[in-house]
Amino acid sequence: MAAAQISAVVIFVAMFVLIVLDKIERHYVTLACGLLTVLGVFGILMRDVNAILETLNLKTIITPHFWYAAGNAEESTSGINWATIIFIAGMMVMVEGMAKAGFFRWLCMLLAKIVKYKPIPLFVAFMIMSFILAMFIDSITVILFLAAVTIELAKLMKFNPVPMILSEIFCANLGGSATMCGDPPNIIIGTSLSYSFIDFVTNTGFIALICLAFTVIYFLLIFRKELATKDGAAIDVASMPTPKDAITNKGEFAISSVIFACAVILLVTHAQTGLTVAFIGAVIALVTLITSGKYALELLKKVDYKTLLFFVGLFMVVGGLEQTGILELIAGFIGNISKGNLKLMVAIIIWVSAVASALVDNIPFSATMVPVIKSLAVSQGVDLQTLAWALSMGTDIGGSATPIGASANVVGTSVAAKNGYVIGWGKYCKAAIPATFLVILISMLFIFARYC
Amino acid sequence: MNEQILISISREYGSAGHEIAERIAKHLEMKIYDRSILDEIANELDVKVELLEKYDEKPKNHILSRRVGKHTNSMEEILAEIQFEFIREKAESGESFVIVGRCAETVLQDFDGLISIFVTGEEHHKLERIMTKYNLSEKEALAKIDRHDRKRQRYHNRHSDSKWGDSRAYDICINSSSLDIDGTVKVLENYIRERIALSKKQA
Repeated sequence: MAAAQISAVVIFVAMFVLIVLDKIERHYVTLACGLLTVLGVFGILMRDVNAILETLNLKTIITPHFWYAAGNAEESTSGINWATIIFIAGMMVMVEGMAKAGFFRWLCMLLAKIVKYKPIPLFVAFMIMSFILAMFIDSITVILFLAAVTIELAKLMKFNPVPMILSEIFCANLGGSATMCGDPPNIIIGTSLSYSFIDFVTNTGFIALICLAFTVIYFLLIFRKELATKDGAAIDVASMPTPKDAITNKGEFAISSVIFACAVILLVTHAQTGLTVAFIGAVIALVTLITSGKYALELLKKVDYKTLLFFVGLFMVVGGLEQTGILELIAGFIGNISKGNLKLMVAIIIWVSAVASALVDNIPFSATMVPVIKSLAVSQGVDLQTLAWALSMGTDIGGSATPIGASANVVGTSVAAKNGYVIGWGKYCKAAIPATFLVILISMLFIFARYC
Repeated sequence: MNEQILISISREYGSAGHEIAERIAKHLEMKIYDRSILDEIANELDVKVELLEKYDEKPKNHILSRRVGKHTNSMEEILAEIQFEFIREKAESGESFVIVGRCAETVLQDFDGLISIFVTGEEHHKLERIMTKYNLSEKEALAKIDRHDRKRQRYHNRHSDSKWGDSRAYDICINSSSLDIDGTVKVLENYIRERIALSKKQA
């Protein structure tokens, strides 16, 4: 077993290093490492067919429980989390349909028009919109459109878009923490631990909402001077792009809006209806493709298959740590340090998750930590939900601290740089680290007060 | 090969590759693109060129940057991509030009009119040139050459399938020390003229 454990750890560390080095595309890295785990660790070292089958987890897809879990949320699983992958794939298809119809650009322009193109109200409105959109849609898409529109408006209104982009990125990550589908770590936590959308909204959602108020005030305070338009120039509202110009096709726009509304309703009510997120993702994708007609193939081609394959490989590698008992050892270590003190466990989980997520991709980290907190809850006899909310807030918010911590940060700073607004580590961290610290601190204190 | 001529010149630091490129461009009455691309890009983006110069022809920092799909927050990579797009657009417009560095032999590999050159040089010649140009000691010049060549190599190999300086990736590789700058320019111009004549014959 020791050889299998060492091999699983070596593969896991090698995967992380190769992802950071970015010499080979990350889905190739996780798939190769996953294959090595399944064949080398399970097949050769452990000679355990069950470990292979459990990690591949293919059987779960054909069980009715995977699609419909009446009376409860979906089944807890180990190994490849197919529910997460199918849900993310479904949302990708839906989001591509919405983007093609001009939904996001329309929404941004509408909001800008409502606040009469005034920088400070626009700043607050875009932060709130970023938060709300990221609750249901992946933060990459949210920031891709918000940052592009922000730059477009900034050029017309002659203000510096960098403060707005930085605050939008932060709020997108914060919004992602509020729901089960907002951020990949939450989808992994939710599907692995059988939590519903409402479970997240009433717990992390509540914390995120409180933090949003502090975040808006914080960013307003630090950026108020930079938001002033040059020479206090008056804005010619007539020259601004109108929301309806953003709509590329009215029919497609109406359909994609209805599909999005249905997706939100299905997600909010999935604990009551018994429909699993895998089911919702599959149905939403199917409806989007059917209603797209001849553009269905085009939408399918735009789906980010590399990210889906990245997830498949990642879950296999984490499965290696799980099957060889490494994650139990980590859980035991945390248990020993905290000596059964729930507050200390929460503090360790939330801060370690935050620091780790600020430096490395938060998806592999959360996928690794889910089995750890499961094991910790059993061994220490503490409430698993409390640990899950700490993990969720730590991984989702910790990623906001640095330009490489979360996907939204990379996309936002990339869009800005391509337009000549270079956001270096100094500029980014100066604004984001205090905000991250503040939100993590509030989250921890809230978890202490409510659950410990 | 059509009438468009695109001459990409890659070079070792201190090999006088840039000077050779300038002379060829002057003699053949072609526009030269080098760091001057940055001026045009800076103008387009409405930023100071000094801001872009910091990231020009440099490899990305693997620890401090990340890629998500088509997006990266490495300014070195973003600037490289903007420059590649710029070079491609210029070539697509039908313009003939000489381009120094910027992985141009890879970026323009699909254009029939491409002539790719790599200029190398003897170490003592490169040292002498850098010591004189920047008023450096031998040790300092050696370190500077080594630093620049390593950066160019990493930058090139990051964006190209071929290895920097590998003769298989270029039409012609030449040691500027053998014939000095004038002689090297003459040889290269003869080669270019032969290629142009051949293309006209084939047309």
